[in-house]
Amino acid sequence: MSRLLLIVLPLLVLASIPLYLLVLKSPPPMPKLDLEEWWGPPELKQKQDTSIKPFEITFSETMVKELKERIKKRRPFAPPLEGVGFKYGFNSKQLDSWLKYWAEEYPFAERQKFLNQYPHFKTNIQGLNIHFMRITPKVPKGVEIVPLLLLHGWPGSVREFYEAIPHLTAVSKDRNFALEIIAPSLPGYGFSDAAVRPGLAAAEVAVIFKNLMARLGYKQYYVQGGDWGALIGSAMATFFPKEIIGFHSNMALTLSPAATFLEFVGALFPSLIVEPELANRLYPLSEKYSTLLEELGYMHIQATKPDTVGIGLTDSPAGLLAYILEKFSTWTNPDLRSKEDGGLSYRWTKDQLIDNLMLYWSTKSIVTSMRLYAESFSSRHLNLKLDEIQVQVPTWVLQAKYELAYQPPCILKLKYPKLVNASVIEDGGHFLAFELPEIFAKDVLKAIGEFRKLKNVKTEL
Amino acid sequence: MSKKTKNKSVNVNNLDKNEKSKTTKDSSKFKIVFGVFSKIISYLFVVKALFTIYGIYLVYVSLTNVPDLPKVDVNVRWGVDNNTHDTRIRPYRVIFSDAMESEIRALFEDYRLMERKIKSFKNTAWTYGVHSDAFAQFFSHWIFKYKFRERVKFLNKYDHFLTNIQGLDIHFVHVKPKADKDVKVVPLLLLHGWPGSVREFYEAIPLLTTPRPDYDFVFEVIAPSLPGFVFSEAPTRPGLDTYEMAIIMRNLMRRLGYTQYYIQGGDFGHMIGSHIATIFPSEVLGFHTNFPANTSKLSLLTWLLGGLLWPSYFGNGIEDRMYPLKDKLEFYLEETGYSHLQSTKPDTIGIVLTDSPVALGSYILDRFMIFTNHTNKFEDEGGIDKYYDFDKLLDNIMLYWVSGSITTSLRIYKETFAGSRLNNLAQVPTSVPTWALRLKYELFQHPDYMLRWKYTNLLGSTNLDYGGHFAAFERPKDFSDDVFKAVKAFRNFK
Repeated sequence: MSRLLLIVLPLLVLASIPLYLLVLKSPPPMPKLDLEEWWGPPELKQKQDTSIKPFEITFSETMVKELKERIKKRRPFAPPLEGVGFKYGFNSKQLDSWLKYWAEEYPFAERQKFLNQYPHFKTNIQGLNIHFMRITPKVPKGVEIVPLLLLHGWPGSVREFYEAIPHLTAVSKDRNFALEIIAPSLPGYGFSDAAVRPGLAAAEVAVIFKNLMARLGYKQYYVQGGDWGALIGSAMATFFPKEIIGFHSNMALTLSPAATFLEFVGALFPSLIVEPELANRLYPLSEKYSTLLEELGYMHIQATKPDTVGIGLTDSPAGLLAYILEKFSTWTNPDLRSKEDGGLSYRWTKDQLIDNLMLYWSTKSIVTSMRLYAESFSSRHLNLKLDEIQVQVPTWVLQAKYELAYQPPCILKLKYPKLVNASVIEDGGHFLAFELPEIFAKDVLKAIGEFRKLKNVKTEL
Repeated sequence: MSKKTKNKSVNVNNLDKNEKSKTTKDSSKFKIVFGVFSKIISYLFVVKALFTIYGIYLVYVSLTNVPDLPKVDVNVRWGVDNNTHDTRIRPYRVIFSDAMESEIRALFEDYRLMERKIKSFKNTAWTYGVHSDAFAQFFSHWIFKYKFRERVKFLNKYDHFLTNIQGLDIHFVHVKPKADKDVKVVPLLLLHGWPGSVREFYEAIPLLTTPRPDYDFVFEVIAPSLPGFVFSEAPTRPGLDTYEMAIIMRNLMRRLGYTQYYIQGGDFGHMIGSHIATIFPSEVLGFHTNFPANTSKLSLLTWLLGGLLWPSYFGNGIEDRMYPLKDKLEFYLEETGYSHLQSTKPDTIGIVLTDSPVALGSYILDRFMIFTNHTNKFEDEGGIDKYYDFDKLLDNIMLYWVSGSITTSLRIYKETFAGSRLNNLAQVPTSVPTWALRLKYELFQHPDYMLRWKYTNLLGSTNLDYGGHFAAFERPKDFSDDVFKAVKAFRNFK
């Protein structure tokens, strides 16, 4: 009898793990959110300004002159090792052509005009001046204007959406709605103020954006995000299911214990977890983990020493360019690491990529942008265990071929039980809206179309 | 069921007996089935146990077997020109040119006048990295108090040289002891690490090269810059890991006429020194390390399991420096971001640090303060006012700056940690007499028994209740005392 127990007991324990993780484990409590938490200078709390002021991006003459001079003062860079392409990081042989272009050919005045083509605004939310673009289409009668909050990530900016916005806001006879876009800069990024004290992590940014949308008069809206935008959007959908009526993500990931468990089950029995054509996006796990190890050094240092690594990025344009463009190369397609030029011209012009750099350089916001990592990977924020709280909002994910990580629907559903669809495309990488604006916009519009159908069904009931 | 009725109907007299035999038959059938079942289970159990034991054996073997040394090619070439074999030893001087000074001062001004400089959070000490207030103090000293002309004179107080080894110009400082007829002069190779340099040894060198009572020997010091660091040339192709550096350093010593010598090393210097002692044991008279770590997988596993099972036993006297495990793991996670980045994308961060003096200054300052004492992270000043005067720290930073070598120095991380040679060599023991110096806040510390797996003739160890990673730099007297002590033991060991 005891021998039987020796076999049965461990088996029972083994069986109970999934039972516990997938069925019995109760989710952590919804975090207590302070919707009025103040992030700005305490003196300003007495006289809160709720106005929405128009804003214009300016590349001042002084700033441009100093930038050009600083680029000219650049030091000789160590040549790359033979044959390594971008495998040791940004290939310094590329720097001269990039820096020469930036200092001598990038048309600052023209690009400033380009960046101002959409209306920009600022409004003070919880002590921080939050910058955003708002693009409202002109619609004929019978077409409903529907608000969409577009959230960027790191090292991106609102610039990522410029090519997608015309497609997103287009009026079409195929749909009875048109999107109004609200695209803010994350706090500490670009033209949005940064917090003056610690604590502003992804969950707190979600609160800020909820308040932003409320300030702008929206009671219900859709949210789209990638990178940090996906994490913040996911937090918003978790906390505010009444306001957010649909969530679209192009970087859907859930890192709960149950998700990790299922990934390991799939390592043994892939067919249980993932469709065979997509198995190589997740398996073998050893490859996935070694790739993540290879690519997450930046995340490790930004999550622990943002102020150390940031100081040079505010001082050296060459440094900022290399640090940020390395991501635009590798995260677009990992194969680009073997190219000497990192394949940076594969998807974008120099102007497009430098536009994005200018939003970091002209605002000197690189350090405050990196602090989001330190705040969000703090034990305080991790202990909120947001990945273990389900999102009760209809969700749609767009999964590009070269996105940094992939999870199949059965794993995503642990976090997003109302997953309506997972669009899998055989192209594109991390900066999807920036890379493939038409495909991106088409999928977002399709998603919102479906969300609206669900909403109508609901209201009919 | 039907059988029973059948039996019943067949023989009424023998009913009880039949019943009994039926039940006995049934129960014995059940017993047989159960017996067979449990036998299968127990066989399966035994088989499972055997497999597990075999598995553990395989793991044990892989962790403890002594792999063959990789083939040693002492002539592998690393330079651009692989044809000339220049064996001259050329005198060298550190130069802080006027052009360099005006260039760096222009960059200082740019940063000083920058409008939107970093402003660190109040009351967070150094938990987000170097605090902007502390850095401002350091930076201000660099601009207004660091006297370039004086410092370069100081750096040239020892004789510098260059010599070409395997295609790379290797820079080194060579200091001969103050002559004394009765005292034997023994060669000592001093190996620095990252983000250090030969500067780390400047205060210790006079102590090492001066005869002292109770000792019948004195040191002649050879302190090179590792390839790719400061004035030592960097390779043009990948592959120059610590193993190859060991060969270069050994060939350097041979170039200088030394076929037997002592080695002292910390940080990467410890790894390189260990490799030399492993690959060329007959040439190394003794090895002193202030970074006493066994880098094998077995040691790592022992440390982890020991922490879970029995820290005081596995810690063997230094458990307060190795455990609690959870605290240590959190500490390593918190402090190894720089290593993770440099082991994967050295050239990217290298570009930032090459182009900006404040970048280089704060990045190196960060590591110096945390490696010296990790509790500095919770001090507003980060301890910058406590351990080293600013000139000392800036001398080291300036050596990286004027040589433009920060990027090539970072590559040692990718070359070393991306391959498997580090672990393989760790599993090859060496009988070269060894001594371990443990300062309190050194980052990795292993007890003597663990060191003996690799250094079979570990003659002793010194545990100090103070001090950190940069032993020679921070505690030149304790450092030199211990090197003398160790080499005395080496000389008496037969």
